[in-house]
Amino acid sequence: MSDGVVKILDGNTFVVSDPRGDIEASLTDPTGLFSFDTRFLSTWVLTVNGERLNALSVDDLQYFEARFFLVPGTGTVYVDAKLSVIRQRAVGDGFHEELTILNHADEPIELAVRVDADSDFADLFEVKDALKKKGTYTNRIDEDGLHLVYERETFARMTTISASGPAAIDEKGLTFVVTIEPHGSWTTDLDVVTAVGAGGRMVRPKYRRGERRAQPNMGRSLENWLEEAPRLECDDDRLRATYRRSLVDLAALRFSPLVAGGRSLPAAGLPWFMTMFGRDSILTSLQALPFTPELAATTLQALGDWQGSRIDDFRDEDPGRILHEMRYGEMTAFEERPHSPYYGCADATPLYVILLDEYERWTGDRSLVRQREHEARAALAWIDDYADLLGNGYVWYQRRNEQTGLENQCWKDSWDSISYRDGQLPGFPRATCELQGYAYDAKIRGARLSRSVWNDPAFADRLEKEASDLKRRFNRDFWVADEGYFALALDTEGHQVDSLASNNGHLLWSGIVDKSKAKSVVDNLLGPKLFSGWGVRTLAEGEGRYNPIGYHVGTVWPFDNSFIAWGLRRYGFKDEAATIAEGILDAAGFFGGRLPEAFGGYERSITKYPVQYPTACSPQAWSTGAPLLLLRTMLGLEPIGEHLVVDPALPTSIGRLELLDIPGRWGRMDAFGRGRVDVGSRPSRRRRNTRSRSRTRSS
Amino acid sequence: MSGPIEAFFERLTGDGAGALPRRASGSLRIDLGSGATTERWFLTFGEGGVSVSHRNAKADAVIRTSKDLFEGMVTGRVNAMAGALRGVVWLEGDPTLLVLFQRLLPGPPSTAEQGTVVGGRRS
Repeated sequence: MSDGVVKILDGNTFVVSDPRGDIEASLTDPTGLFSFDTRFLSTWVLTVNGERLNALSVDDLQYFEARFFLVPGTGTVYVDAKLSVIRQRAVGDGFHEELTILNHADEPIELAVRVDADSDFADLFEVKDALKKKGTYTNRIDEDGLHLVYERETFARMTTISASGPAAIDEKGLTFVVTIEPHGSWTTDLDVVTAVGAGGRMVRPKYRRGERRAQPNMGRSLENWLEEAPRLECDDDRLRATYRRSLVDLAALRFSPLVAGGRSLPAAGLPWFMTMFGRDSILTSLQALPFTPELAATTLQALGDWQGSRIDDFRDEDPGRILHEMRYGEMTAFEERPHSPYYGCADATPLYVILLDEYERWTGDRSLVRQREHEARAALAWIDDYADLLGNGYVWYQRRNEQTGLENQCWKDSWDSISYRDGQLPGFPRATCELQGYAYDAKIRGARLSRSVWNDPAFADRLEKEASDLKRRFNRDFWVADEGYFALALDTEGHQVDSLASNNGHLLWSGIVDKSKAKSVVDNLLGPKLFSGWGVRTLAEGEGRYNPIGYHVGTVWPFDNSFIAWGLRRYGFKDEAATIAEGILDAAGFFGGRLPEAFGGYERSITKYPVQYPTACSPQAWSTGAPLLLLRTMLGLEPIGEHLVVDPALPTSIGRLELLDIPGRWGRMDAFGRGRVDVGSRPSRRRRNTRSRSRTRSS
Repeated sequence: MSGPIEAFFERLTGDGAGALPRRASGSLRIDLGSGATTERWFLTFGEGGVSVSHRNAKADAVIRTSKDLFEGMVTGRVNAMAGALRGVVWLEGDPTLLVLFQRLLPGPPSTAEQGTVVGGRRS
């Protein structure tokens, strides 16, 4: 692993350790065993005869399983080992570790094997913000092993550590005194089990019948997951590897909220964002729709169940609003953080309606659309009744929770992401441009569902009229006429926050852009100020706050680019979409197929390789989904009625591309394309021939 | 005598269940307190409405808490989810039904009194 830590996970339980498999966390150090946003183990250190071990190699066998090969001594130059130590660890509801020691010598050997264990039971928020704990700790021993307990009033969390072999257990860990014969070996199984308590009772995980220890819940279905996804055949080895990496990472990012009845939706990122997020779960589900449509179904169900129903300033909740983030830790429990759940985002609600429609267009699952009519109507009502803070027909955001709420409730959520060209920041509320696009698209799509599924043509007419009115006003009020692009936002005075930003691409995706303005918008997106050669920068070079390594003010985000490419296709700019696809997929090759959340906005011709933005989460769900959406845009996949239309426009570097067994309302279909877009010569050479065919197969 | 809990259930059986989707169906029992003095409320959801009784019967989902805390929930002073995470509200059974039920609980009173919604409903 590139950052020297080893991460394995299952659902929202994960272990982050050093390459030896050891955990030595401080309050601010993000290693440990975590489950439901709580650290259950902050110390887990293996010594043999009092000596720390040295890592020879680490295999991350699966995302839920790792194997560490170790030798005694901490020397880094040369190791003359008479002993080998192997730790094989799998995450389940806690983790299971098989510890094996091999004696390579001709003599028997006596060893004291020690595992130190402790937990600070930090809330993830405390790890991020370095906060102090308010409860009390008890470590106690009984016949079940060593129990580490944390209690604060009625809130209790417990970690139990036990071993299969005879061990001397004290309050700080376990010691094994063992003799290993010449060329022999010794093994013991260590189990770490998490438990959640309340009212004096502890609830430990219920294992499946016949299982006595933690087992990964999702691991067994990985093979099946890969088999169910469409097959990619192509000449480009790197693209094949990227595709497989995306599918495996998407499997790892599956999270099963309680209301989902065992089904999963995409969590936002590993390890810190293994929870339900409105925006991230929806956008990733959209990216993955042609590949794994069940993620979208679960996202719609779970987010729909948790839809806001009342006004709650602490949680920035309104009736009809789709949640931003759900958390389960101590600070959320004691309402020191508002994530139970927190609703402060302005885009998830319109995006919910967009996903519902796109899901139906792909899958033909009208029953889910019927079942979620209530939520979709409430979401559409939220746009008009609660998001229009100034009463002028636009979506605005301003947090009501001034202490712990989010300032910027759009995807660019860092403090300085929304600025004028001169670098000044506007006041609140703010109406960013892409929110208007999403609202427009939600109304158009809501109208389609209303007419075709809910049997309410009057509501459909009303939504279409509102959408067309919004589009007209938007193209007037947000258009920066001199430069030919849409302003990043409007301020409360109605003035344009006039920076050139990647949000213009989302506007193309939403369809809110007047046809007559599209060409100019595209020229800006692929012009030298925004396009780095790898992708479109979040903020254009030359803007006051531009910084090639600024989080939302100059870096290139793969997810952002995948939606921009979709937008370019929507307006017929196939070559430009292929250009972006090639840049981002080339970048993926530098990261072993796993795209980071963001990389530097440096000019491609200068750095030659994409400079990764340092970030805590990898893989990140919507970066994982980016290659999938790019495959869709390159192949020009579009469900029209009962059919899948294929209209490929591939960069020449990709060569032949076949995506086989694409699931949808048509059963399964194959799509073929051959690279014809000469990206290097853009934009002078516009036309090329694409060869395509599609055929329906019985499924 | 009619307290906030009675008032809450009265509203529910009126038109107070408007926040519920029609698909909500099943039974939910609310046990307040413990032992012989346990106060029970039995809710049946269906067709977008709720009926309420004091039956002591098996239900698809159960909420157990103290009368004080439940009074806090129905007056918006206690958040049900945070209470469950804290271990003062116990939830059992069908999670979807429990999540749909919490939608019926009001927001914090301070919010409503101060009317701090920045925008508010447009006519």
